[in-house]
Amino acid sequence: MSGRRTAALPTPVALLFLLPAAALFGIFVLYPMATALTYSLFSWRGTAQEAFVGLDNFVALFTTEPYRSQLPRAFAHNALLFAGAMVVQNSVGLLLAYVLHRRERVRRLFQVLYTMPYLVSPLVVGYLWSLLLSPLFGPVNAALRALGLGSVAQPWLGDPDTALWVVVLVTAWQWVGFPLLIYGAALGSLDPTMEEAAMLDGATSRQRFWHVTLPMLLPVIGTVSVLTFIFSMEAFPIPYALGGSNGSPAGATDVMSLLFYRTAFNSGASNAIGISSAVAIVLFVVIVGVSVLFTRWFRKVERGLT
Amino acid sequence: MKRAAVHVVLWGYAAVALLPLLIMVWNSFRSDQELVAEPLGLPVSPSFDAYQEAWVEASFSTYFLNSVLVTTASVVLSTAVSLLAAYALARSRSRLMGVIEQVFVSGLMMPVFLMIVPIFYLLDRVGLASTRTGLILVYAAVSIPFSVFVLSTFLRQLPVELEDAARIDGAGPLRTFWSVLLPLVRPAVATVVVFRFVPIWNDFFYPLILVRDRAQYTLPVGLTTFFGEYQTSWSTLFAGLVIATLPLVLLFLVATRQIVAGLTAGMGR
Amino acid sequence: MNRRTTLAGVTTAVVALTLAACAPTSGSPEPGTAAGEGCDGEPVALDVWSWRTEDVKTYEQIFDVFEQANPCITVNFQAHLNTEYDQILRTGLTGSDGPDVAQVRSYGLLQPLVEGGNLEPLEDLVPALGDFDDAILDGARGREDGAVYGVPLASQTIQVYYNTAIFEENGLEEPETWDDFMAINDKLLGADVTPLAVGARDGWFVPTVHDALTAAQYGGADFQQALRDGDTDFTDPGYVDSIQTLKDLQKYMPEDVTGVAYTDAQVLFTSEQAAMFAGGSYELAFFQEANPDLDLGVFQVPPPPGSALDHPVTAGYADGSWGLSATTEHPQEAETLLNWLATPEFGQLVADELKQFSPIPGVEYSDPLQQEMWDLYQENPAPYLLLVDYRYGDPVGTDLMGEAGQKLFLGDVDAEGAAQIVQDGLSAWWTPGE
Repeated sequence: MSGRRTAALPTPVALLFLLPAAALFGIFVLYPMATALTYSLFSWRGTAQEAFVGLDNFVALFTTEPYRSQLPRAFAHNALLFAGAMVVQNSVGLLLAYVLHRRERVRRLFQVLYTMPYLVSPLVVGYLWSLLLSPLFGPVNAALRALGLGSVAQPWLGDPDTALWVVVLVTAWQWVGFPLLIYGAALGSLDPTMEEAAMLDGATSRQRFWHVTLPMLLPVIGTVSVLTFIFSMEAFPIPYALGGSNGSPAGATDVMSLLFYRTAFNSGASNAIGISSAVAIVLFVVIVGVSVLFTRWFRKVERGLT
Repeated sequence: MKRAAVHVVLWGYAAVALLPLLIMVWNSFRSDQELVAEPLGLPVSPSFDAYQEAWVEASFSTYFLNSVLVTTASVVLSTAVSLLAAYALARSRSRLMGVIEQVFVSGLMMPVFLMIVPIFYLLDRVGLASTRTGLILVYAAVSIPFSVFVLSTFLRQLPVELEDAARIDGAGPLRTFWSVLLPLVRPAVATVVVFRFVPIWNDFFYPLILVRDRAQYTLPVGLTTFFGEYQTSWSTLFAGLVIATLPLVLLFLVATRQIVAGLTAGMGR
Repeated sequence: MNRRTTLAGVTTAVVALTLAACAPTSGSPEPGTAAGEGCDGEPVALDVWSWRTEDVKTYEQIFDVFEQANPCITVNFQAHLNTEYDQILRTGLTGSDGPDVAQVRSYGLLQPLVEGGNLEPLEDLVPALGDFDDAILDGARGREDGAVYGVPLASQTIQVYYNTAIFEENGLEEPETWDDFMAINDKLLGADVTPLAVGARDGWFVPTVHDALTAAQYGGADFQQALRDGDTDFTDPGYVDSIQTLKDLQKYMPEDVTGVAYTDAQVLFTSEQAAMFAGGSYELAFFQEANPDLDLGVFQVPPPPGSALDHPVTAGYADGSWGLSATTEHPQEAETLLNWLATPEFGQLVADELKQFSPIPGVEYSDPLQQEMWDLYQENPAPYLLLVDYRYGDPVGTDLMGEAGQKLFLGDVDAEGAAQIVQDGLSAWWTPGE
């Protein structure tokens, strides 16, 4: 199958096609990336680069406070953001895309409406939701009380048990258009004859979804999952707007990018650049590692199914 | 019954999704005093003052043009080069290509914060700091990983028979790409354009660090810098945000039409 | 060198053009024109950076005064977003298009620039620095060499604001004793008014509230000295007691205080739903603008029985200063500007136009409330402890108190546990007595 799929493009031609992107990418992404990597291998005095210290910054990150306890905590929160995004944002997105796919008349309207939050600057989104959820003025709690659900009313962002889930939900609310559109586009480019055949065989709509449509969507699901993972690991504006640079309350919404931000700009530590660069490199390595492993595993699953 | 339930859910969620835009628009018609006293109230005596102030005082027109130029140029540039690259990656069997793809995608995973300082020094050295050109090149470059990733996934899904047919007809690779693949991949292109255009349009981080010259500011950095802290005019800020968001809504309406048109074209074959 | 000057000229022209383009209502003269008139030598443009985006217009007017006195120097004032300012300044001072003179942070957050050699020591260049209060200059000193790297720009004081109308309605007066203070709180609570407008969702606000309410209880400057001498640490019983006081006062704060944002607390106070607000002098301008009908008063919280001090204090700190870039191409002109920034003339403009406390000796305040706050501070000053001495490493003291205070309010730790969080966090880089 794979031999037939990839209509061979001669390598020289392929390289020629790659050249413009590679040049731009090399100069403005790879080169700065490599430079940034070296930052983490030096000790710093303020803005002045001092001695080469090898992996000392990384060792400090894993063995000294506050990093030793904050790093795993932040990572765990990023992981929860990812899990939450997969469960809430991506499955809702897929479901909506599937429901809308068969309702051509209203599809575009709802696609536009659901993607609206994505168009608004994330900082505004954070500000608006903290207003909406404010225990003093927020209409969310007021509405709950009015509905007789006063016991459900919470200091949403003030309680460590709910704050991170608010971040998950607000993120999902803003980003649901992303899976919705991507899955929408993917559903549109699928071969409709398979589903028609299944329908003629008498499969129910649920069966058609699970056994016909979903397997065909797998490559796109893989892509969306990897992208979601990356976005979740790098989440910044929404956690920052909802919990501040310390991940309030009491560190419950602290994530990696906030840890980086604090280490780099909110401390009087002399070696701030060295340590914060190490934080970013660790994050980078984890994202790359997990993404590569996931992609490999996913390709295997895909091959097993087709 | 079930249909009705589906519609209730669809419309109900649509209302929730629209909420921020509504609040933004409402608040832009309210005075600062009203906003401070009651952050989420309705406009009592709607006023357009905030819009006038945003347009005149925030030199909105300059920033607006810069934003249009920077965002459009960088999205066009990145989408064009990414399409070519994605085609190469999706249709080549060389092992080298797999490695190159991984390198591209790794760009997605680089925390932006870390890269910004080296990028600044790079632009500074080649004389592109504080220029729109510098900003366009950086935005285009950082968009490549996402665009390549999404586009190559879509290209891999497309059947190769059409290309084979074109090749048998004697078309070269570029021609095949242009006349056969491009129409098919249009929904994916529209998707990529939307998901790159929006964040670049809304981004203030890069221009904030890379641009020090007011004449080169883009809309978000102009707004955030001009209005700075919460203490100043919120209603003007909301008015600015409404004007800043409108082009995105327009783009989006056009883009979804493209997506739908592309889908229909794709299915018609 | 020549190319650079041309470039600077072009930049000036572009800036002037932009400003002119957006000037119709601002009425401030275009920079550039002033420099040409009455200047015998070659006009020079100085780039001055700031994080006070909200003060751009006022600063432009203030620098017009300087430009008139120094016709050969033009000041290009540019403000960058507060939250990203440190990064912009860092790249600016090490790249090629940075400022000549820039606002720099105080205390610990100043150190990265000092250590990187990005700023010039100023004592020899600006003789007037000798007249400044030593405690204020501490905010602009390099940790290691003790040299002064900035001309102090503004000071902030921390006290309790109150709504005089609400106080009158309830027959209340400024408290003289701790019992008075508690009686006020109880009375207000009974009258369905939130006594203390506090929002603990923003961690940085917690240590401010703590010092506003209890600095005298733990001993203010005495405790600071004891810590510096190594005689005690943050688990000191007096400090623990002060945290306990914060916890005891929680019932007078809004419900679910950890969910209440700092801005929510401001709204509570300006919309007259709360009677008191424990906060910095920087709130005054905002309060007056947000609700012009608000009748404001200020007081210092009297110390509770058993406090380290027998009199109330006002905590204060130096908030930023003007630094000189080590790579400036116009050191002489920058020196002229910095010396002007240390004059009472400039200090008075800061007081009158920016409504800030200028640490320059001899400045007076036309706003009676501002004058009262300043007098209270002068009489019984105390350091805003965690900001002044405990931001020289990572994590910073104010962040630790933010987290500890949130846990305290949530009931996750008691006062002792909260003090322990601060002490443990700081011990990553600080040892008492060093």
